Amino acid sequence: MKLSSQQDFQAYAADARKNWDERFGGSRWIISVGVSECSKAKGVQDTLSNLELHLDNSGLDYEIRHVGCAGWCFAEPYIEVSPPDGPPIIYGNVVTDVVPELVQAFKNGQFPTENALGVRSESAFEGIQPLSEHPFMKGQRRLLMERSGVIDPESIEEYIARGGYSAFVRALTEMTPEEIVHEVKESNVRGRGGAGFPAGIKWESGRRTQAWPKYVVANSHEGEPNVFKDRRLIESDPHLVLEGIMIACVALETPHGYNYIGGEHVLALSRFQKAVDQAYELGLLGENVLGTGKSFHMRVRSGGGAYICGEGSALMYAIMGERGQPRTKPPRSVEEGVWRRPTVLNNTETYAAVPSIINNGGAWYADIGTDESKGTKLVTIQGPVKRIGVAEVEMGFSMRELIEEIYGGAKDGYTLKGIQMGGVSAGPLRMDQLDVGIDFESLDEVGAMLGSGGFVAFDESICAVDFARYLTRFNRYESCAKCTPCRLGNKALLEIVDKVRHGQSPADVAALIQGTSDNIIDLSLCGLGQVAPMPLLGMMKAFPEEFEAHFREGRCPQGQCTVSQPHIRLEPVAAD
Amino acid sequence: MAHSAPASADIDLEPLRAILNEHFNPENYQDSLELIVQACQEAQHIYGYVPKAATELIAEHLGVTTNRIYGLLTFYADFLTAPPGKHTMLLCHGAACYVGGSQKIVNYLDQQYDVDSGHTTRDGTLTVQYVNGCLGVCDLAPVAQLDHGPYYGHLTVESFEELLESLRNDDGSSEDSDETE
Repeated sequence: MKLSSQQDFQAYAADARKNWDERFGGSRWIISVGVSECSKAKGVQDTLSNLELHLDNSGLDYEIRHVGCAGWCFAEPYIEVSPPDGPPIIYGNVVTDVVPELVQAFKNGQFPTENALGVRSESAFEGIQPLSEHPFMKGQRRLLMERSGVIDPESIEEYIARGGYSAFVRALTEMTPEEIVHEVKESNVRGRGGAGFPAGIKWESGRRTQAWPKYVVANSHEGEPNVFKDRRLIESDPHLVLEGIMIACVALETPHGYNYIGGEHVLALSRFQKAVDQAYELGLLGENVLGTGKSFHMRVRSGGGAYICGEGSALMYAIMGERGQPRTKPPRSVEEGVWRRPTVLNNTETYAAVPSIINNGGAWYADIGTDESKGTKLVTIQGPVKRIGVAEVEMGFSMRELIEEIYGGAKDGYTLKGIQMGGVSAGPLRMDQLDVGIDFESLDEVGAMLGSGGFVAFDESICAVDFARYLTRFNRYESCAKCTPCRLGNKALLEIVDKVRHGQSPADVAALIQGTSDNIIDLSLCGLGQVAPMPLLGMMKAFPEEFEAHFREGRCPQGQCTVSQPHIRLEPVAAD
Repeated sequence: MAHSAPASADIDLEPLRAILNEHFNPENYQDSLELIVQACQEAQHIYGYVPKAATELIAEHLGVTTNRIYGLLTFYADFLTAPPGKHTMLLCHGAACYVGGSQKIVNYLDQQYDVDSGHTTRDGTLTVQYVNGCLGVCDLAPVAQLDHGPYYGHLTVESFEELLESLRNDDGSSEDSDETE
């Protein structure tokens, strides 16, 4: 079916809503199963086949549907049970062993409280608390993840039934491009990739540059070793990201949209491609969209495992079939980007915020968050905490509350030592420094960085020097080798840290590290090099006593570095 | 480790040719350039690596040079230019896995097998690729994915050793291997 006018779309949306209501208001049991990369890893395929088997035997009138990931990785695989009369209940950790008892209970009209995460309702049901009261959900404010885990990511109809594409259609048929840019500017949504540049200003510059064609590009590369928000969002609600990019295309008056997705995100790639195919089939992409005479096209491109391709100019070279290596700026990408044409490049998460800004107005969005950092932020955690997952919190939310309440604090048997911030581009916060807001300014002030919102909790057994070495090694390995300060400087830095780890610190090593770092920071060509030494410097600042123990006493308090394993100690080297 | 690919004559190019004909139809040179990486991904998907003959076919099909293709193959960490071992493993070395102890497994592979990322064990059982980014299943950290299928979570040096042992002993199929906890 192809929609050819705004009225067509409204009629389609009304039908979709009606189908949704009938489906969930009927006499059937609807069992929604979260299928994403993380639930697959945890055996959701087995859960699915087992569910089918037992539900078939139970004689219940049921339907199994797939949904995306709702962020609670700690509870995968999960199912949401919508009984014919009663609110939907979410059960976590539904491994195959749990299935028979659960299904038997449903058949008897019972709802076990064990494994229940919560019920989607205002009040408790059968002793199960509302989902919004679950400690993981309580502090969250979900705008981008509103539909994640609710709709089938592979169904455009379900997306539209839940209000999807209304912003795109509105932007296309009722707003001028200037009005769209105005709303985005007023919302003051800032780049979610890490730099925090206001998207509206970028769009405005993109409009001002008079060269054609223009391009709109989404950066879904997500190559950091410690963040997985974009891929979960695309796996769970790909149309939301697509709609955001399409609205930017309307604003820039260009038919050319791109999404660059990291090649390792296999499921995100296939689901986004499917979303694009469905949008073409429905006539939201293609020629003469909804009879407006305007055309919109979307290309999905991917790379092959190079962190640097997340850098703006490198990403554009990667799209153009070149090695993904950054270049000097200016010209900035809004002047010369993909194919040397004006290009607006934003992060996946930034585009995902756009539909709600168009629907509710920029002023509404600007009301959420802090004075300078607006809206909500997707954050992920890794390491030994109780509840690993993707959370969405209002900008300015307390870091301590996030770690201790939402993520549940340290796992049993672990004592947390700190949280590594800003991916591989900043230093950590010690546990006594967590009373800080999660927004661009507050975190900059304490010398950390919001970055893309990937946090790593590490415990007392982790040696700060060894962790710093890991982060430095990452940047050294991922240096594209184009400019010398980054290529050789990070190598030198890694060598110095390795000497320290082997108990052979050169004289005045702290000054040597600082000096080498300064050179890398000052002289490197792109953002990777300019921040590459930050994790090491940050670790040194946060845990000076540990570094001192290595420097002066040749001792690793955590017993992790080679220095404490004399049998593989290196031969002494000549004094530096 | 590279450049030991079998002679081109051994490679059946028909499956790749079919995909290229169906999905890779550039309208101009710009399109051709944009499609190189994806074409190589298809080749790696089919053959487990990107054989020389495949690069020649892609070059001919897209109208680009093989040199340009090799420029990309050697830039991106995901591509293999030599045949992998019987099994391929993505060993996640993201921050969560590091905090969970993946460095020990990396060291173990280095010390016991003299194997680094992209290398194959001498007996040809396993090719390991370190995922420098993140597999995104951090709840299972440290984690590895075998043959783009099952995940093995909460790895330790001991459980990793067992996994290697079982791979060495089985005769090629990993179909019914279960995820270990």
